[in-house]
Amino acid sequence: MSTAVNRPRWTRQLAGLIRKDLRLELRTKETVVAMVLFAIVTLTIMQFGFGTRDDDLTRFTGGLMWVTLAFTAVLGVGRSYVAEREQRVLDGILVSPVPRIVLLAAKAIAIVIYMTITELVVIPVVGIFFVKGPYWDSIGWIALVALIANVCIALSGTLFSGLALFTRARDLILPVLFLPALVPVIIAGAGATHAVVGGPHDMSEYRGYCLFLVGYAILFLLVCIATYDAVFDD
Amino acid sequence: MPSSTTDHASRRVIGARAALIWGVIATVLVTVASVGVFLVAPEDADQGAIQRIFYFHVAIALVSLVAFAVACVAGILFLRTRKLRWDDVSVTAVRIGILFSVLVIITGSIWAKASWGTWWVWADPRLVTYLIVVLIYAAYFVLRSSVDDDRRLRFSAIYAIVGFVSVPLSFYSVRVAQSFVHPVVFTSGGANMPNSMLIWFLISLAAMLALFIALLEVELVGRRTERALRALTLRLESS
Repeated sequence: MSTAVNRPRWTRQLAGLIRKDLRLELRTKETVVAMVLFAIVTLTIMQFGFGTRDDDLTRFTGGLMWVTLAFTAVLGVGRSYVAEREQRVLDGILVSPVPRIVLLAAKAIAIVIYMTITELVVIPVVGIFFVKGPYWDSIGWIALVALIANVCIALSGTLFSGLALFTRARDLILPVLFLPALVPVIIAGAGATHAVVGGPHDMSEYRGYCLFLVGYAILFLLVCIATYDAVFDD
Repeated sequence: MPSSTTDHASRRVIGARAALIWGVIATVLVTVASVGVFLVAPEDADQGAIQRIFYFHVAIALVSLVAFAVACVAGILFLRTRKLRWDDVSVTAVRIGILFSVLVIITGSIWAKASWGTWWVWADPRLVTYLIVVLIYAAYFVLRSSVDDDRRLRFSAIYAIVGFVSVPLSFYSVRVAQSFVHPVVFTSGGANMPNSMLIWFLISLAAMLALFIALLEVELVGRRTERALRALTLRLESS
């Protein structure tokens, strides 16, 4: 009698897990809508937080955008395991023959998609709200750095949300774990944005920040590969 | 078994002798370093007496990184072997690393006040990095206290690894973002100081390293003693 198990290939497993997350999001529209609204509310608060009614905050574009995106990322990453937790889907996934790294990749890709959709709204809104000068010419460069940063956010976020999932007061724990590790991404994202908007328009500086983000993503990918098995090792 | 033999065996398991030896070494080295730094080392021509803080400031900073590296390696060893002693080493090293990092920030602030006239300089990448490092490792204890049982040990080990990876990332990101105002003590060409200063810096570094090992050993003895006591209590209760 043959004992071989007909296990689906990892690409099919990955596609299945991503499809599950996106279908759930399309049905409920809870995470992305909340992220977009949260980002716009945060940007509005930022304007009042400066204490002066200044129409031209071009110099601070990078900071405003990336602080908003970092807080929005915390919200999105925090929501990423909610469905699994509430409906006990995670138990099903963990007992199925899906490698943990595939689970990590699926979650990370879902977070990249959520962040990208949010940025499709946030990046133009920042330009309309705060920038009084050339902005739209540089929007491609901002989109590029946002895309690289999304990978960084997704990789570290998936790892930290996996850890926070099993803690008491998990909604409180995640920002405490996640935000300090996100500081380099905020610095690089804001620095790269400032290099092309409101700053010196220095492309070598922009490239340096992008390369740093690529390095961050590679390092966190290696850490995730090395440790993600241990997160769900029950 | 005679009670003196049992006592000797318990002490060996707990490792009290190593803690005692390292305690003595640390005390001697810290005393020698303090005398040398404040009474023997030459005064810096530019910065004056405040420069003497550098002997401890830089030594503590380097040893705090050693502490986080030890925590990371112990975390990896725990995940591989699942032996409790590696968790003990990891958590203790993080605790001492945070203590040393806070001291780096305090001594750095004192130096900043004397050199640049302000307690805090956002343009100084190393001071800012240490603030981020303290925030990263403070979260270690928040995580540790909010998980139970086996997960507590596993998650702590994972976070010790992630935290150590975040340190160079934080340092590099802060450094590329800001102008470099921190005095550069060590360059690729070697130490940027005369030999009469370098010798006292190396003694301070050895003193801080010995202090770290002594604190680590004392804390480990405490943890092992507590565990041995708990096991003994359980055995007495069940008999």
